Amino acid sequence: MSEIKALEHATLKVPYEILNKRFRSAQKIIDREVDQVMNVSRQVEKALSAPQSPILSDVTKLMGNVAQKLQVLKRKADESITDELSVTQICKRKLEHLKGIVPPNRSDGEAWEGSVEQWKRIRLDRLVIEHLLRMGYYETAEELAARSDVRHLTNLDVFQTSREVEDDLAQNSTTKCVLWCIDNKSKLRKINSTLEFSLRVQEFIELVRQNKRFEAVQHSRRYFPAYEKTQLNEICHVMALLAYPTDTDMDHCRKYMDPKRWDKLVLDFRHENYRLYQLSSTSVFSAAIQAGLSALKTPQCYSQTCHNLNCPVCQDDLNRIALKLPYSHCVQSRLICRVTGLPLNEHNQPMMLPNGQIFGQLALPEITKDDGTVTCPVTNVKFSNPKIDKVFVM
Amino acid sequence: MDAMDMEACASVEKELDRVVTKLEHLHKNASAEIGDIASLMSELVNVLGMAEQMVVTTLNTGTQMNAPGTGSPDDPMGENVNMQVETEPAAPQRLTDRQMDIIRDSIVKCNERVQKLSSEHRDLHGSVSKIGKAIDRNFSADFTSTMRVDALQDEDNLMLLNKAIAKHYCRQGMDDVARTLIKECKMSEEHAQDVFDSEREFAEIYNIWMQIQKRDLSEALKWAERHSGQLREGHSIVEFQLHRMRLFQLVSNGMVSQDEAIAYARTYVKNFPAKEIGYLMLSLIYVPVGLENTRYKHFLSQEMWTELSFIFLREACELLGISKNSALSVVVNAGCTALPALLNIKQVMQSRKVLGMWNGCDELPIEIDLPPEFRFHSIFACPILRQQTTEDNPPKKLTCGHVISNDALHKLSNGHILKCPYCPVEQNAEEAVRIYF
Repeated sequence: MSEIKALEHATLKVPYEILNKRFRSAQKIIDREVDQVMNVSRQVEKALSAPQSPILSDVTKLMGNVAQKLQVLKRKADESITDELSVTQICKRKLEHLKGIVPPNRSDGEAWEGSVEQWKRIRLDRLVIEHLLRMGYYETAEELAARSDVRHLTNLDVFQTSREVEDDLAQNSTTKCVLWCIDNKSKLRKINSTLEFSLRVQEFIELVRQNKRFEAVQHSRRYFPAYEKTQLNEICHVMALLAYPTDTDMDHCRKYMDPKRWDKLVLDFRHENYRLYQLSSTSVFSAAIQAGLSALKTPQCYSQTCHNLNCPVCQDDLNRIALKLPYSHCVQSRLICRVTGLPLNEHNQPMMLPNGQIFGQLALPEITKDDGTVTCPVTNVKFSNPKIDKVFVM
Repeated sequence: MDAMDMEACASVEKELDRVVTKLEHLHKNASAEIGDIASLMSELVNVLGMAEQMVVTTLNTGTQMNAPGTGSPDDPMGENVNMQVETEPAAPQRLTDRQMDIIRDSIVKCNERVQKLSSEHRDLHGSVSKIGKAIDRNFSADFTSTMRVDALQDEDNLMLLNKAIAKHYCRQGMDDVARTLIKECKMSEEHAQDVFDSEREFAEIYNIWMQIQKRDLSEALKWAERHSGQLREGHSIVEFQLHRMRLFQLVSNGMVSQDEAIAYARTYVKNFPAKEIGYLMLSLIYVPVGLENTRYKHFLSQEMWTELSFIFLREACELLGISKNSALSVVVNAGCTALPALLNIKQVMQSRKVLGMWNGCDELPIEIDLPPEFRFHSIFACPILRQQTTEDNPPKKLTCGHVISNDALHKLSNGHILKCPYCPVEQNAEEAVRIYF
């Protein structure tokens, strides 16, 4: 499998899901307007098929309705289809970007290297932005997208709505989230989402909290029966709240009255939003970070004496993240001189100092003084005119 | 990007283009057809309206001022009505058969057209969902099981990751992005301070690096002068290269800079290696004609400037003891190389029902083929046991110079006697020494 196939599913799937949604809503709008036209035209037909021929002014009026509805249909169909087309453009732009890494002309190898570098930089920015959005750091994501000019390649617009919903939930209001649920009703039903139920429960809890128990009962009558089949247990538990004072010590009541339940709703919402757009629950960024750390992680990264300045896993923060991740796997020795950073091979033979430390042949002049003293760069031990042995690594 | 990527993109694009073509077609045709029928309807309404108007006008101007609808007497006004059909004299006025036919026709047509629009749009459904299927078929959606443990579930680790992200953008001079992130993720003072402290030094170097690429050496020379002692101690060539570039830059300016070039050479010539001085000063001959057509020509190409900027970056970072790469970008790029391979092996292991094997060990199941610049540490894999050596099983050098792992050494030795697996030397196993790469 290759990088784009492995990593770019979400890049294309999200705009596709938007296209699919627009398509369905366009169909709905068109069908509704078509129905309207058909309704009024049926009235005309009915008038015409009456036993006595109809009155001119009545028919004129009815025909006027038909003409008017037709105009509305035309306008709405126009708008909807334009909408769909604009989403296809988003898909198209992302595809173009993904294809952009192909060398435009092979003769210009050097310039291509540069453009691959540039492409990878943009990819990093895209991945970071997606991660930031998933973490709820919307402002940072916006700022980064603006600074590195990659907005059109991200899913920022999708997350813009979720940001509004989350902000609303954070202020203990369910309004926007309920609207979102209604907006995506059919899709949510398909993925068996219980988010709307959780919201209704929360609304109920808030009414109880404010001691508006009568309203709470009304609320439960209005919304809970729809979930009777699947959520009966939960409903029973929640209804039990009515029987207790709001400051009760009962464990299961406290669980519901806990204001932290709002934070959980935010997380639930986020999760459902990913499922809606078929985003996997781990971001590409976090998968790439972990795979990358593992691929780079060696036992040396965790030994005090072997740190390499340029190795990311040797740096404090990443070192700690990588602690539980697996090490890289290697069946063929791969030796690098710790002084020069050059590979050890037949052109740069590995040499052993008396203390067992191995360095490349090319590094020896650098660690040898004019008087023949050799300083081991790892242990700082000095050897005068030491015996330096060749080592053979298969 | 390879052929498979191309193919994947192409197959999605094909489905997408198909939908776009159909949508555009529908857009054009639908608006034309619905527009047609709408204007036909409006015309009919106008005509009917006019017919009605006539009646009313005639009635109003007639000698008998009976309001329509109260049973007015006969009124012969039909001849000049636009519908070209005789209207019934009785009021309220009624439609003639001919009028009814016309209306019926147009209504049928209207119904047909609008239903066609609806069904044609609905027919797109298949094509639209084909895009989704093409995406699912060609791109992989799930990474959850590429890792045995998810280290990024942990709050502390997530904060450390935020820190790494902040550092990355700090390095590139996007301090404001880093600051917003620090604020938004509520990073502790201590961590935030660390972000800026560790990257402050790099930010300066990064700036100079960009300036060199834009052929501006002033800051770079100041920096080199400040660190001159350390640079020379480390046998660095960057100082010399910066001065050389500056000299050529002055020389290539032509006569206007001649004096400056000479003065520059006098001031800094002491910094140059003796064998280079003559060669450099020779360039002054060409001041009047410029360096373009001389042996010094290649010194002025953009590649030399880029090269110089990277030499500067490398040496400066080494001197300051900081990494020249952004850790985040190295890790993510390595990860992007590793993930496809891991996804592949996962599929294979799943199909052979041996996924459990992964869980047992604390190494990745396969070797990831990273480019050489991503290799930072030596790894010694025992050539006998095909295993990486560890603290518990360290590499040992036999007296003949061959290296094998400690475990292999024990397996191969018979009492104290060991025959090297690679050469005919027989030796005492006790004499093998632990080595460090």
